[in-house]
Amino acid sequence: MSASQAPVAADLAATDDLGWAVRLLAATPTHEHRDPELLRRWARAADAFGAALAPVACTARVVESEGGLELGLLARYGSRPPTVELFTDTIELAERTVDARGWRHWYPPGSVRAAALAHEAVHVHLHHGPAKAALKHALGHSALRLGRLRVPGHVAGAEEVAAHAYARTVCGLGRSPLLLTAALAAEAEAGSGTTPPPARDARREN
Amino acid sequence: MGVVILLVMAAGVAAMLTRKLPTAFALVLLAVVIAFLSGAPLTGENSVLDTVLQEGAPALAATMVAIILGSWLGKLLDETGIAGTLVRKIVEFGGDRPTVVALGVLAVSALVGTVTGSAPAAMLAGIIGIPAMVAVGVPKVTAAGTVLMGIAVGVPFELPVWQFFSTALDLPVDTVRGFMVKLFPFALVAAVAYVVIENRRRGTEHAWSLKSVSARPAPRRERLGDAPWYALLAPVVPLVLALGLDVAIIPSMLAGVLYALVTTTRPGEMNKRLLRTLYGGFEVAAPPLALFVAIGILLAAVKLPGAVDALEPLMKAVSPQNPVLFVIVFTLLVPLCLYRGPLNVFGLGAGIAGVLIATGIYPAVAVLGMATSYNQVFGVADPTSTQTVWAAQYAGVSPQQVMLRTLPYVWLVALGGMCVTAALYV
Repeated sequence: MSASQAPVAADLAATDDLGWAVRLLAATPTHEHRDPELLRRWARAADAFGAALAPVACTARVVESEGGLELGLLARYGSRPPTVELFTDTIELAERTVDARGWRHWYPPGSVRAAALAHEAVHVHLHHGPAKAALKHALGHSALRLGRLRVPGHVAGAEEVAAHAYARTVCGLGRSPLLLTAALAAEAEAGSGTTPPPARDARREN
Repeated sequence: MGVVILLVMAAGVAAMLTRKLPTAFALVLLAVVIAFLSGAPLTGENSVLDTVLQEGAPALAATMVAIILGSWLGKLLDETGIAGTLVRKIVEFGGDRPTVVALGVLAVSALVGTVTGSAPAAMLAGIIGIPAMVAVGVPKVTAAGTVLMGIAVGVPFELPVWQFFSTALDLPVDTVRGFMVKLFPFALVAAVAYVVIENRRRGTEHAWSLKSVSARPAPRRERLGDAPWYALLAPVVPLVLALGLDVAIIPSMLAGVLYALVTTTRPGEMNKRLLRTLYGGFEVAAPPLALFVAIGILLAAVKLPGAVDALEPLMKAVSPQNPVLFVIVFTLLVPLCLYRGPLNVFGLGAGIAGVLIATGIYPAVAVLGMATSYNQVFGVADPTSTQTVWAAQYAGVSPQQVMLRTLPYVWLVALGGMCVTAALYV
C-alpha cells in the first residue's frame, strides 16, 4: 500500500458497519433526499434482519467466471434460471486487498467466496419466500397512510444491507463485507483513474 | 436528374452514418445541392436563397416554439421534484415486484414522453428510474428499454410532435391527432408486452456491486422533498387540454408550465424559477431546434418544382399502390430508419416524406401514417438516437443491446401503424 493510500485505509475501517450500510442506502436512487437519521434507522433494521436470518442453503446453480472487475461486480444472482455467478478475478483482488490492508483477522482466507455465496443465497431466499414481506415489516416504512389503512413501503437497498449482514454473521466475519466492498471500489477507482462521466455528453442531435 | 438527386441523398446518408457531418449540417448541405440540381435560381421565386434558405429555415417555427415549451416544462418537472417523486412513489409501492416497478416507470416515462422528447425525456424518467429498477432486480438492458418504450408510448401524444407533422406535412393538427390516437394502442400494448415478457424471460438480477458503496461519502444533493400529489398531475395538464378540450398546442403547454409552477413554488420564488427553467429549457432544446431549422430547409428544397419533376417518375415506379404491398414493403423497410438511415423522419426521412406528398404519390395523411410509424421505431431502437444512447450508457449496457431487445416490439408497432394507414388511406 502506498503512503497516499494509508490514510484512506484508516478512514475506511474507521467507519463502522452501520455507517457503511447508511452510505449504501444514501447512494441508492430514491433516497437522495432522505433524512440521514431515517436512513440510519432503516440501515439498523435491515442489518438486524439479515443478521438474525436462519442459515439458508444456496439452492441456485453456482458458476464461476472472469470479467467481474470490468463489470464492477463481485457476484451476481439471476433468477432465470436461478444462478449465482461468482467473479473469480474480483474475489482474488478482494483477497489481495484484505492482505494489503491487514484485515485478515476480519476476513479469514476463503471467506470472500463464502460471503459472496451467502450474500446471493439471501437474494434467492428473499426472491422465492415470504421473507421479503418480513423485511418490509421490519423496516416499518409506510408508502401510504389513510386513517387506519397503512400500505407498507419498499425501501430500495435494504435487501442489500440485509444480505451483507447475513453474510457477515454466517461466515463469522469481523466486519461487514460492505467495508471490503468500499476498499475494492477504491482499488478499482485507483486502477481506472477517474470515474467516467455519465452519458449526458453523448452526442446530441435529436 | 432524379437519379442524381437520389445519389446525392445517399451520399448525405453516408455522411450522417459515418458521422462525417452532424445531421443538421448534412441536411442543409443536401437541401442546397438538391436545389441547385433542380435548376433553382440563386434568388427570386423558387430559388436557393429566398425559398430554400430564407423561407425554409423558419417553416417549422411553431414546432420550435412547442419544443421550447416542452423543454421548459421538462426542466420544471426536474427542478420541482415532480418527476423524481413519481418514480420514488412507484418504487415504494411496488418495490418487491420488479415487474410492477418497471410498469410504473414505464407509465412515468410515457407521461414524460408526452411533454418532451429525446435525451431530456430519457433523463427525466431515467436518472432515478433506471437505477431504481436495477436496485429492485430488473436487468439493466430491460431497465433501459423500459424507459425508452415508455417514452414511445407518450410520443403519440407529444404535442410538439403533433405540431411538427402538422407543419411539415401540411396537415391540420386535428388530422395528426386523429392518427396518433389510432397509433397509441399499438405503442401501449407493445410497451406493456415488452415489460411483462422481458421481465418474465430474464427474471430478476441482484449483484454484489463494487459501486454500491464508495470510499468517499456521496455529496449530498440539494434536498428535494416530495412534490405534493396534485403537482404530480402537471404532465397530463397539456394533454387533457389539447386532447380533451381541443385547446391549441402552445396554450396547452403554457398551461402545463403554469400548473407545475403554482403547485410547487412559493409566490416569491416564481419569477426566478420560471426564468431559470426557461433558460435551461433553451439549452435542452438547442439540438432539436437546430434539426428543425435544417428539416425546414430540406423540405423547402424537395418541394421545389424542379425537384418534384425530377423525382416523381422514380418515386412512382418504386412506391407500392396496393394496400397489402404497401404494408409489406414499408414494414420491411423499417431498419432503414435506424442508424440515421434514409427513413429517419427527423433526418432525410422528412425530405422523402415531402417528396411523396409533393409528387402526389400518396395522400399526405398516408405519409403521416408511415412517418409516425417509423418514428415509433426510431425513438426506441436506433442506437444513434440520443435517448437510446443515453439510456443504454446510463444503465451500463450498449445501445446495440437495447436495440436488439426492443426492435421486435417496436417493429410490431410500425406494422400496426402501417396496417391502419393502408386500411384507411392508401
